[in-house]
Amino acid sequence: MARPLDPLGFEDEMCPVCKSRKYLNPDIVFVFNPECYHSMCLNCANRLFNDGPNQCPHAGCNKTLRRKGFRSAFFGDLSVEREVDIRRRVAAVFNQKEDDFETLQDYNNYLQMVEDLTFELVNGTDEKRRQAEAQLAAWEAEHKQDIERNKKAGREADEMSRKRLAAERDAARQRRIEAIKEAEEEKRERVRSREMELDNLAKGITATTAAEPATKVQLKRRGQRGGVTEPAVPNPAAAATAGMGASEVERLSIRGLKEKPKAPAPQGPYDPFGGMDFAPSRYKLHGGLAHPLMEKYRLDRQHVAGGYSFDDFAARALYEAFAGLGVFVEDEKEVGSGSGIGLSQETTMAAGIAAVGDPDRMDLD
Amino acid sequence: MEFNIDDLPVLFPYPRIYPEQYAYMVDLKKTLDAGGNCVLEMPSGTGKTVTLLSLIVAYQQYYPEHRKLIYCSRTMSEIEKALVELRALMKFRAERLGREEEFRGLGLTSRKNLCLHPSVKREKSGTIVDARCRSLTAGFVKEKREKGENVETCIYHDNLDLLEQGNLIPNGIWTLDGLLRYGEEKKQCPYFTARRMMQYCNVIIYSYHYLLDPKIAERVSKDLSKDCIVVFDEAHNIDNVCIESLSTDITQDSLMRATRGAQNLEAKIAEMKDSDQEKLQSEYEKLVEGLKGLDEGRQEDAFMANPTLPDDLLKEAVPGNIRRAEHFVAFLRRFIEYLKTRMKVRQVISETPPSFLAHLKEYTFIEKKPLRFCAERLTSLVRTLELTNIEDYRPLQEVATFATLVATYEKGFLLILEPYESDTAKTPNPVLHFTCLDAAIAIKPVFDRFSSVIITSGTISPLEMYPKMLNFETVVQESYAMTLARRSFLPMIVTRGSDQASISTSFQVRNEPSVVRNYGNLLTEFARMTPDGMVVFFPSYLYMESIISMWQGMGILDEVWKHKLILVETPDAQETSLALETYRTACCNGRGAVLLCVARGKVSEGIDFDHQYGRTVLCIGVPFQYTESRILKARLEFLRETYRIRENDFLSFDAMRHAAQCLGRVLRGKDDYGVMVLADRRFMKKRAQLPKWINQALLDANTNLSTDMAVGNARAFLKQMAQPFSSKDQEGVSIWGMKDLRRHQEKMAEDLIVELKTAREEEERERKRREEEERRRLEEERDRVSDYEMDEDDEAEMMALDARIG
Ligand code: SF4
Ligand SMILES: [Zn+2]
Ligand SMILES: [Zn+2]
Repeated sequence: MARPLDPLGFEDEMCPVCKSRKYLNPDIVFVFNPECYHSMCLNCANRLFNDGPNQCPHAGCNKTLRRKGFRSAFFGDLSVEREVDIRRRVAAVFNQKEDDFETLQDYNNYLQMVEDLTFELVNGTDEKRRQAEAQLAAWEAEHKQDIERNKKAGREADEMSRKRLAAERDAARQRRIEAIKEAEEEKRERVRSREMELDNLAKGITATTAAEPATKVQLKRRGQRGGVTEPAVPNPAAAATAGMGASEVERLSIRGLKEKPKAPAPQGPYDPFGGMDFAPSRYKLHGGLAHPLMEKYRLDRQHVAGGYSFDDFAARALYEAFAGLGVFVEDEKEVGSGSGIGLSQETTMAAGIAAVGDPDRMDLD
Repeated sequence: MEFNIDDLPVLFPYPRIYPEQYAYMVDLKKTLDAGGNCVLEMPSGTGKTVTLLSLIVAYQQYYPEHRKLIYCSRTMSEIEKALVELRALMKFRAERLGREEEFRGLGLTSRKNLCLHPSVKREKSGTIVDARCRSLTAGFVKEKREKGENVETCIYHDNLDLLEQGNLIPNGIWTLDGLLRYGEEKKQCPYFTARRMMQYCNVIIYSYHYLLDPKIAERVSKDLSKDCIVVFDEAHNIDNVCIESLSTDITQDSLMRATRGAQNLEAKIAEMKDSDQEKLQSEYEKLVEGLKGLDEGRQEDAFMANPTLPDDLLKEAVPGNIRRAEHFVAFLRRFIEYLKTRMKVRQVISETPPSFLAHLKEYTFIEKKPLRFCAERLTSLVRTLELTNIEDYRPLQEVATFATLVATYEKGFLLILEPYESDTAKTPNPVLHFTCLDAAIAIKPVFDRFSSVIITSGTISPLEMYPKMLNFETVVQESYAMTLARRSFLPMIVTRGSDQASISTSFQVRNEPSVVRNYGNLLTEFARMTPDGMVVFFPSYLYMESIISMWQGMGILDEVWKHKLILVETPDAQETSLALETYRTACCNGRGAVLLCVARGKVSEGIDFDHQYGRTVLCIGVPFQYTESRILKARLEFLRETYRIRENDFLSFDAMRHAAQCLGRVLRGKDDYGVMVLADRRFMKKRAQLPKWINQALLDANTNLSTDMAVGNARAFLKQMAQPFSSKDQEGVSIWGMKDLRRHQEKMAEDLIVELKTAREEEERERKRREEEERRRLEEERDRVSDYEMDEDDEAEMMALDARIG
């Protein structure tokens, strides 16, 4: 296949029919017909093929072309355009996945086989090409079901990844907007506090006492925002595993192709905790908790900048305070026989009762 | 002087030591003992290098592990300086110990600096030297020669093979100069001597890139053992080095040349198919086995290397569809054509790697996996084809590297296509930036591999930013204050002009004549008063140009000219070095000079203005980055989302580290002195982000000044500095002799004892109290087991909640 002289094909494309150039006529559009991959400008194509099929105007080419077949190229190099068209056909037929094979080596051999075939189709002599073409058709006929199934799976996977990408993009946009809002909010806050300060000054209240709470508020807010939950993005990866439903097909003669396992019934997304709820059941978290020792850090920019959030601390402290209540070491002992927890009988009892207050309510935990 | 830190005897090659040097050593030792990382900020001009070397060498020699030291610096002159210091230290040790130690230290820099081949070394560009050297030294060239073919080789390289491997050069410390001389004498190549001896050295000193740039690191540094001590000196910019080492720009031109490279490869393959089919076949068979088989081939003369390849990739076999050479080349061509098509788009596009891959697959049927193997596959092919003119294939390699990276990393990278150079440009000149956003990626292998990594610089504040950005843990993070017997530098923040109007280079006001005039006055005043040299930093070239032309119109430059020569830094390296030379001459002969330069330029990074070369540094404006850059914007967003570093925090951090770098330029030792002026209203708020040693010296009285006040202060300061000052006055305060050091150590030991004692007492008391409490509680509980009750409210709430769950 002859290569264009200008390997980039950017500026100096020329229509071989009317000799107009991109350089002189920047609006020129080139089209080609996949029958022979010879390009010409859109005007020429319209002119020549408007009255029905005609012969390709390229010297030495005697293909008969129709107007309908013309399209504009994605690639600058038409030989690549042709190659990709062929690949599209091949990929539609040879669409096995790595999972379909016993070993990686088998898969690699398969890939190479496909590549060899493609190569023949693209670069081979007429004879070879016909041969490859026949092979392709034979394979397609033979493995129809498999191909259909993989096609479907592939489409689903594509769909899934497209969705995931879109969701990610959306989430990123959302976060960006939020960050901007946050910055604006902060700026407004600063202006407001400055105004307040001025007002206070005017009223005769000393600046330091008045200004401090304002900055404090600001810092606190920032600290809270550190923990802003990101917009929930559905997790397509989890869903993707569920989508692999396929019926068993009879064993084909591809070396190393795996026996298809029965597809499991589709499940919902995997929940590692088996439906357990982590919302605290014994207490409720109200905002506005404070601790004299932590106050320093709450206001410390260096801490807050790292994402430190006092509320997290409070939540954890409370969690720890309540953790283990309602767990009866004696009971546990029986289960984990002789794990040797050295606690005296009375403390266990005391703790147990302390936790629930009433032995009857134990089963609620 | 000799002293002990804990049990470790340290030999320090000077009779006196600075207190901060001692503190630095103590922290270093702590880090090494713990086998962790640290970030240390040591004021500039306090002998950081020698301190570091003396402690680490002492550590190496004292403990049986003899951990190797890898010392990374930025420029060749810094490498040479460190080598000289190391040599002096070892000489001192030999004198003290009465014997030469078994010790070898080498520096490594590029072939361009170390080549001896009479014609190769005359090449101007480093890449050409590399390429020509490779064509003389590659493995197959040698093979051919052995077969009796007539090929050109390099005698300096050949001679190395005659020597005993592992003992190419005697023990001792070899400066680059010394290495060159030795090589010339023995007719052996200094570059390869250093490369091959690296494993047998106690100390290696080389540039960052040999460790950080994955393309080089794999070849040069892969044999270094895990317990090496790695030091990054002058590391304040390390995040940018990391990012640059993984980012690539692809242009139309490079794509065109890549296409040509692919065509050449195709031709070569066809040629080889006719003449030497077995070679291709044997490569193919190796690839079937997996890349491991190729490992022997990855030696020092590997032509091209790959970017960070995860280990699992190295172990896996090359995908079947690029195993054959011709398949692979067709694959590359398809990929390049795709990139070309993308380049035709006329609007800005920014894209994540997954979305790029999805699009790529849709249009070219290129899957992610073979893409990942691209760089490695190309290396193997180039080796098989025995290509010598590697330079021609560089663009192709860039594309392959890009392919591998884009398929390997989903996060931390972004593709940005900019069709036009600037917003106003009419003719498209598209560039595809593949930019790394996460500095941690490039440095991760270093942290993974080496247990102790020391990151140090004169200005590396705020310290906690670095562990966050580079994603590592530290044992010690410390910033040392500078002990001074007299205030030898005067930092000031000037916020107002003489007319009390505030000055700033923020976008709204930077071109207002009044602001420009005020800056001009500041410059004139200081030019009048400062002896010898003065350095002025601007935030950007663009601003510098515009303000200079405005000053010209206002007659300010004429005024300055009366007192000092005016020299200007330009983006052109040659011109700048000429300007610098003139500047130095003028400083030495008493004419005096002002150097106008840019806070992110060459001058601000690598060049010292000690003593008369810089008595005043004037920082005009906060040197913020150009925030409209899309790459910067992407990075800011990444930092915000991944490391929770807010955009403004990062920008301000980045500006201040450059400002601090600029300020640090004038103070290069304790006997040096200088004035540091930060001239912008906005510096007032950013003061806390200055390094500790500068911030501490910045008195409140010297902030928020107007021009005339600053001039008054500076005048008084300079007058004081002109008084005679002997080193005697410093003793005991900013310089310690043996006696002072011992006193300090005793005091530290005492403090420690006291601390331990109080801690123990405290503990004791605490334990008693707890026991007491416990006992009481138990007693009480025994009494009250039956009537224990919860708080009523709590109980009510709990019941409600439990009911809900039930
Ligand atoms: S082997 Fe050494 S001396 Fe010879 S060309 Fe290469 S770098 Fe130069
Ligand atoms: Zn035409
Ligand atoms: Zn045709």
